[in-house]
Amino acid sequence: MSLRSATVESDGWVEAVDAYIDNGWTDGLPVIPPTPEAVEAMLAAAGLDGTEALGEIPTRSLTVEAEKVAINAVMAGCLPDYFPVVVAAVRAHLQPLANAHSTTATLAGAAHAVVVNGPIRNEIGVECGQACLGPGFRANATIGRALRLVIRNVFRTVPGVLDRASFSWPLRYSFCFGENEELSDWTPLHVLEGYRPTDDVVTLMSVMRYLVATEFEPEPEAILGTLADTARINGLLVDEFVGDARGMMVILGPEHQRRLMDAGWTKESVRDDLFERMTRPTAGKHDNQVHLAAPENVLIVCAGGPGLAQSNLLMPHLAAPTHERVVRP
Amino acid sequence: MKLVTLDPTTAPPGESTAFSMAPRPASLAGQTLGIVANGLGRSELMFDALAEQLTKWDDLAGSVKVVKPSVAVPPWPDQWEAVTNGATVAVTGFGGCGSCSTRSMRDALDLEAAGIPAVCIVHEVLVPAVQALCRLLGADGYPFVTVGYPLNPTAMWDEDEASALAAQVLDGVRERLTR
Repeated sequence: MSLRSATVESDGWVEAVDAYIDNGWTDGLPVIPPTPEAVEAMLAAAGLDGTEALGEIPTRSLTVEAEKVAINAVMAGCLPDYFPVVVAAVRAHLQPLANAHSTTATLAGAAHAVVVNGPIRNEIGVECGQACLGPGFRANATIGRALRLVIRNVFRTVPGVLDRASFSWPLRYSFCFGENEELSDWTPLHVLEGYRPTDDVVTLMSVMRYLVATEFEPEPEAILGTLADTARINGLLVDEFVGDARGMMVILGPEHQRRLMDAGWTKESVRDDLFERMTRPTAGKHDNQVHLAAPENVLIVCAGGPGLAQSNLLMPHLAAPTHERVVRP
Repeated sequence: MKLVTLDPTTAPPGESTAFSMAPRPASLAGQTLGIVANGLGRSELMFDALAEQLTKWDDLAGSVKVVKPSVAVPPWPDQWEAVTNGATVAVTGFGGCGSCSTRSMRDALDLEAAGIPAVCIVHEVLVPAVQALCRLLGADGYPFVTVGYPLNPTAMWDEDEASALAAQVLDGVRERLTR
């Protein structure tokens, strides 16, 4: 396998890390120096040639090639087995409706959630349960970080230059987790999207707002009402470009899920109910319609750990949630 | 022993392309102004006022305005056709947010490539972004028109502000669209 990227020579490991930081090639944290051997191992794990195009950003006339993505995955600390997931995340973000130019250059500083479904979660250790949105899990931390480094280095979205986020936010360091498919017999997200249960699938969601919905009352009416009311604080406007594909995500916590399951609800019935509540007409300054085309645009992912009766809502930037099957050689 | 590692960045695509501006008319008299608006805030008010003032002061023949389906995407194909078939000079914008400013700059560069003299109107806050995009695409130094505070970047202007802004950018637009 021949690599085409320019090489950098350093006196040693520490000097290489410093050089990458000094060149503005990191997120501010140290990285793993991407040696040709490590990059080749990454590409081999996905069965990709370095020249393979994963997609384009037309506004920037950029074509994203596998070799550059592999370099950034090494830097992020990914193991080679993670790389097919990283590739799927990048491909998902480069689908036209993911609107990659918009979501990475915006003043709003959208974050990019990578949700993993399918058997690969357990094989590579993508955390889906307790504390899955936070630090402590190599697969979560480095897959999410790899996407962000790709956005920075390959999409050329440098903060203060093409990345115009007024504040940006901590979710932009890394934001990857899996669905806890084993917790119940509820239909996993990727199956609802038409994939087989045995498929490995990444869902990519560009996130404008991260909303926390805490409801301690056990009745489904209270839980669903709070979820919908939380989404309705700001609502969601129509975007002609994204059109009917616009969607939002509910990360349903296990305490809420258990209450709903005990009362006989399914993921599909929860989705239908939330759609009806969220899309009611605007009623006031802090009660705004969430404009969605269909119940299927409410993506429900079961994740998180027991204890707090909380769920989280991811409201979209000017993009649709996109899905990409993870391809393994 | 030296450690050899790899560069993680993509080369700017502009390094392999040559950019040139479309030929400019001597004046705007008799020209048709294309307006490629991104719909940001109330920026359409400014474009409407600009077309009105150019008609009044420069004998513009008319205008063709399209409002794109989202702030940071290309025009729909039929919108692009309407502008490229109907306009002889064009303005794009408003460049008041991160992704919309750069996309509007790309619209201007695409119009130049189609042979239509163009200018993008950008808020001063977004100048580094549009300059970066121009460098990326091999159009370093491509001229644009800037506006600044006290007008807010996201174009939440009233009609009086929009009209005053149109008058403010008039000379710059004329200068960049003519030779």
